Amino acid sequence: MSAVATELLVHYSLRRRTLVPGIHAYSRRAPPLYLNCTRRPLSAGPSLSSFELKAPKALTLRASASTDTAAVVESDVVFSETFSLKRPVKVEGKITIRLVNGKDEENWQLIVGCSLPGKWVLHWGVKYIGDVGSEWDQPPPEMRPPGSIAIKDYAIESPLEKSSTLEGESFYEVKIDFNTNNSITAINFVLKDEDSGSWYQHRGRDFKVPLTEYRHDDGNVVGAKKGFGIWPGAFGQLSNMLLKSEGAENKMDFTSCESKAPPQQNSRLEGFYEEHPIVRETLVDNSVTVSVTQCPETAKNLLYIETDLPGDVIVHWGVCKDKGRKWELPEQPYPSETKVFKNKALRTLLQRKEGGTCSSGSFTLDVGLTAFVFALKLNENTWLNNMGKDFYIPLSSSRVLNKEHSQSHSANKTKESSTAYTDGIINEIRNLVSDIASEKSRKTKIKEAQESILQEIEKLAAEAYSIFRSAIPTFTEEEVSEAEVLKPSVKIASGTGSGFEVVCQGFNWESHKSGRWYMELHQKAAELSSLGFTVVWLPPPTESVSPEGYMPKDLYNLNSRYGSIDELKSLVKRFHEVGIMVLGDAVLNHRCAHYKNQNGIWNIFGGRLNWDDRAVVADDPHFQGRGNKSSGDNFHAAPNIDHSQEFVRKDLKEWLCWLRQEIGYDGWRLDFVRGFWGGYVKDYIDASEPYFAVGEYWDSLNYTYGEMDHNQDAHRQRIVDWINATNGCAGAFDVTTKGILHSALERYEYWRLSDEKGKPPGVVGWWPSRAVTFIENHDTGSTQGHWRFPGGKEMQGYAYILTHPGTPTVFYDHIFSDYQSELSKLISVRTRNKIHCRSIVKVMKAERDVYAAIIDEKVAMKIGPGYYEPQTGPQKWSLATEGKDYKVWEAS
Amino acid sequence: MEVSVIGSSQVNNLGRVDLRYREVGLCSFSKNLNFAKISSPKYSGLFVGQSSISWSSKYLFPLIVKASATAQTEAAVTSEKASGTRRSEVDNNLMLYVGLPLDAVSSTNTINHARAIAAGLKALKLLGVDGVELPIWWGIAEKEARGQYNWAGYLSVAEMVQKMGLKLHVSLCFHACKESRVPLPEWVSQIGESQPDIYFTDRSGQRYKDCLSLSVDDLPIFDGKTPIQVYKEFCENFKTSFSSFMGSTITGISIGLGPDGELRYPSYHKPAKSQGAGEFQCYDKNMLSHLKQHAEASGNPLWGLSGPHDAPSSKELATSSGFLKEHGGSWESQYGDFFLSWYAGQLISHGDRLLSLASSTFSDVPIAVSGKVPLMHSWYQTRSHPAELMAGIYNTVNRDGYEGIIEVFSRNSCKAILPGIDLADEDQPKETRSSPESLLEQIIFSCRKYGIEISGQNARISGSPSGFQQIKKSLTGENAVDLFTYQRMGASFFSPEHFPSFTAFVRDLRQPQLHSDDLAVEKVDSAESLPEKNVQMQAA
Repeated sequence: MSAVATELLVHYSLRRRTLVPGIHAYSRRAPPLYLNCTRRPLSAGPSLSSFELKAPKALTLRASASTDTAAVVESDVVFSETFSLKRPVKVEGKITIRLVNGKDEENWQLIVGCSLPGKWVLHWGVKYIGDVGSEWDQPPPEMRPPGSIAIKDYAIESPLEKSSTLEGESFYEVKIDFNTNNSITAINFVLKDEDSGSWYQHRGRDFKVPLTEYRHDDGNVVGAKKGFGIWPGAFGQLSNMLLKSEGAENKMDFTSCESKAPPQQNSRLEGFYEEHPIVRETLVDNSVTVSVTQCPETAKNLLYIETDLPGDVIVHWGVCKDKGRKWELPEQPYPSETKVFKNKALRTLLQRKEGGTCSSGSFTLDVGLTAFVFALKLNENTWLNNMGKDFYIPLSSSRVLNKEHSQSHSANKTKESSTAYTDGIINEIRNLVSDIASEKSRKTKIKEAQESILQEIEKLAAEAYSIFRSAIPTFTEEEVSEAEVLKPSVKIASGTGSGFEVVCQGFNWESHKSGRWYMELHQKAAELSSLGFTVVWLPPPTESVSPEGYMPKDLYNLNSRYGSIDELKSLVKRFHEVGIMVLGDAVLNHRCAHYKNQNGIWNIFGGRLNWDDRAVVADDPHFQGRGNKSSGDNFHAAPNIDHSQEFVRKDLKEWLCWLRQEIGYDGWRLDFVRGFWGGYVKDYIDASEPYFAVGEYWDSLNYTYGEMDHNQDAHRQRIVDWINATNGCAGAFDVTTKGILHSALERYEYWRLSDEKGKPPGVVGWWPSRAVTFIENHDTGSTQGHWRFPGGKEMQGYAYILTHPGTPTVFYDHIFSDYQSELSKLISVRTRNKIHCRSIVKVMKAERDVYAAIIDEKVAMKIGPGYYEPQTGPQKWSLATEGKDYKVWEAS
Repeated sequence: MEVSVIGSSQVNNLGRVDLRYREVGLCSFSKNLNFAKISSPKYSGLFVGQSSISWSSKYLFPLIVKASATAQTEAAVTSEKASGTRRSEVDNNLMLYVGLPLDAVSSTNTINHARAIAAGLKALKLLGVDGVELPIWWGIAEKEARGQYNWAGYLSVAEMVQKMGLKLHVSLCFHACKESRVPLPEWVSQIGESQPDIYFTDRSGQRYKDCLSLSVDDLPIFDGKTPIQVYKEFCENFKTSFSSFMGSTITGISIGLGPDGELRYPSYHKPAKSQGAGEFQCYDKNMLSHLKQHAEASGNPLWGLSGPHDAPSSKELATSSGFLKEHGGSWESQYGDFFLSWYAGQLISHGDRLLSLASSTFSDVPIAVSGKVPLMHSWYQTRSHPAELMAGIYNTVNRDGYEGIIEVFSRNSCKAILPGIDLADEDQPKETRSSPESLLEQIIFSCRKYGIEISGQNARISGSPSGFQQIKKSLTGENAVDLFTYQRMGASFFSPEHFPSFTAFVRDLRQPQLHSDDLAVEKVDSAESLPEKNVQMQAA
């Protein structure tokens, strides 16, 4: 999977979110808001998984807690912990919009400002004369203020600069200069708060500043005032909330003044100045410290709470008497300023410290209580708790116990993070149950919960079934080699092609830049053929939100940054002429939406496949899909397609068949197949009958203490499982082999290249015919370099994969580099000796500094600086090619 | 005029935010009070550190007391007794386990079908299954050489299970399994090459090579070590290696007692097509010499020269032979009693050795130890019970052969695993005079008498809802078991033909017998009523 270009995040991954209590200001009774804090994660972990872990939590506010272990050492403090809190603070300010005349009639300046501190960005575009519809265009370069960034081809993001201002307050503004001669009819913008990712619009739409004729008599209020009149500001309180009252609809709406008259240049433009109130919620860091000391005489616990939260802070608390977390009331007496709340909890007002900003309170707790539980209440609508749960302060009668507690704390943390991936559903169940406990609609909820869980269970069972029943029970190498060897190796199957394929990855991460990649590659087709390649993998051809093509939008629009559909057709034709099969890069996991739903979520598709949100998986909260839960991992930057929907599969099959016929693609490279069940891939392959197909199943290798494990069986098993799920109808990139080559070459651990059975340690050792080996691709290398092959050792990598079974893939960047002649020799050794995807490897040496193998008794090879020469036996060996730290021999 | 904010993610979150409001706002405190009441202490802490409430996925299919008529009528009788015991394990809290594939761990110590197992575990968890059973094979864990253990694969399975929040019952298997092609350790079978008498042997000299003969239990056949010592070391090493799981994830182990882990002679090889009941397995060198000594000691040296000469072969009709015929068979003779007592006694001693080995090894960890009692139900409806006799259970129309066995379990505080509680009499072929139901009843009676806990297992994947009916009958009747392990996960388990009925079965088990209106969730005081009812059921 390719990384997502940052600008895309504008639409798709504004995940750092704040909760806004005001959201509910308009609902009749605002339910109390709880803010949550989390403990600081123990470790970042592998980035992908931690990302997934965090995603669901991002729904709530977070804070972190640091356990003050030092405090434990003190003689009488049995517990001390500081929890940090994020408190929402509402800040009011204003957005100003000013249109002023520049040095002459033709030059004007639009100044947009904001009085609130923050990283503000103006996201804007223009409309030209003759533009129809609501699309934006990019303004001419001279209009763009310094620091502006182009967002795709229709918008500009310009940062607001801090300016010293009126009454010494800091003010943020951006100035856009423009000339009335350049055919612009309007400037559209929204304001974006980069910190929170919030977008500030005007009445749910873009701000629009019309630049052409104002018709004073059309009742539009904006134009009515002449000169630089100061506008009276908006009515009432405006805030950054979604649920807004749509009162006085048309009176002040200056956006509605789009001119219907033909635009007239040089019509009199009048300056104006407007202010719009803006309310933003920001989070302020506060903390609460809880310490428990034990009175040596009475053995009672004294619990002390101190917080720097401003205002009146009420501790809403109870105690636990046994191991459960049931709230109970303690024995009287209670601390001062304490009220009993519905006989279920106590509410104690913390006392403000003299002259300080802190509030504190102390609580004497009897022996025999196991815990003190509480939440903090700031006002009716604002509660603070600990990560969605009550603060739970374990009480103990001895210090030893306390240690256990802190241990169990950390144990819980680990457990939590490790189990979190399974718990999405379970959490939901829990939510539902909470609802059940709290609402009358309990029974229906139970039913719904059961339904959704049963569905999930069914899906899991189906997955388990598909794996268990698969013909090849496990990958012990005996079975494979027997089964594979017996097959006639010329038979063409989509998992292997002819078995003698050598693949060229025909692009890199920059290929879209020229805009004419198809044409450029056209020139190279003959050369690639003469180098010995039989298959070329072309970049994703569809219209895409990211220029590289991995964020497809309209699947039937094949005009991309790589060229037009006609250029693509002619390129495919050219490759066929020179005898090269062409793989299309099919991105089936996700698709970018065309439209927002009624909630403003991008999950409605357009174009020929105008799916709605039923085509989107339900378990990525960012896209509010109404489909089923994903059958694989989620790719978080775009709506993930729900392949379990019949209509989706039908459409995708049709599309693949269309690509085969219309473009002439011979097969597929399938992007991010981790995202959905391999069984669906089988469905697609069966329908589109490709000559060759390969899936990208890329996940992390196994590491222990930062060091890659020698045994990567689990990793390759996952890839094999996927191939299995496709029924072997597709190969998969051998990520395992690449990973092991990294360690072997980089750290002189060539011994890693033999597994415990003396076989190659990657997928190629277990299911060679389905292993598509590679050392680099557009993601791992190129200009992204997510996981770059050890520099300078690429040829050793190629000496390995081009002599070994599996289907080797050579990366474009390497083909057109100094390595070309060496690569060419290796490929010709492979071709000449008819090494194929099922060739037999005999590992001769796997030591610290050298690995050597004999393949099909026809080719011998070694990589690494160590010594190896093949023994002359029945065969005589002659050196076929060599380079830095590698040698290849042929039997003669 | 107003400014509104739109950010896709914000909008996204609104729905969720709402939910949280409700959850936290409305029930944060009430749930701590009310909700705790319906959760029995047993389940609290299942989600330690995740939520202030305890929630087991069981509540999906709310687990409700079976306030059946029997329970109520017996309440008066039992309540007194019950109040004294108050065990937390109660019948209507039946624990439900599912067996993992026999080949969950390969001979190279990797997990087979890891993804399928992961998905399967998740499905089971969601379904409300309590745990899984994992067979650990001698031939895998101690494959390389004696004393060289490799638990890697099994540890990873245990980890998976732990992560999924399921319990684990481990079966330590000292036998080989043809079905999943797990052999005995090679170093064992090598010894078997040179000393074939370490295996059970029948009259025709055929060796049963899937487990060691009980006659070598105390013979130093492994470079001076006896099998019992080797088993013991295996258990010790297992205990140490899995210490972090003991009592938390691992709740129980069962120790392999013989063929298929069951306490019996391998008299009866699956699959048996004939009408035979098996063969006596007393013909290895050591058995014979022991028989000889025993006969001499009892003053009938001639009886010790061989096994019963007129016993049927496995191909003959069981009751056709002189030894086992219904009326006037030599089994009823003095010699018959001599031989059968000895034969069955050997088995009971073997069971005692292994169970005491296991119970002493695991005495310092909080897990239950179990052993498997065979269900030799063929020919049960005859007077001589040929199948049981040849399997080593001296159970006839005149004699209860299970008392002695169960007594050994009781002495070692072990639980008994009963396979085949899915078997119904009516499904058995008429000609074999089989009655699994009556046999089960007899064994359970003995178990109750000695107060040992029973775990049930099914004999095979149930193809039809009727099989599940039978299981349910066994689980919910008077002879209710404490734990039921469904055997076992795999392709047919998850197949569309089977899995839906399994799901229905689990839901059925977990579902209230009362009308949903009477759900305890609603009643504040229901929590108090729970333990009482539980106790009734358990004491019944």
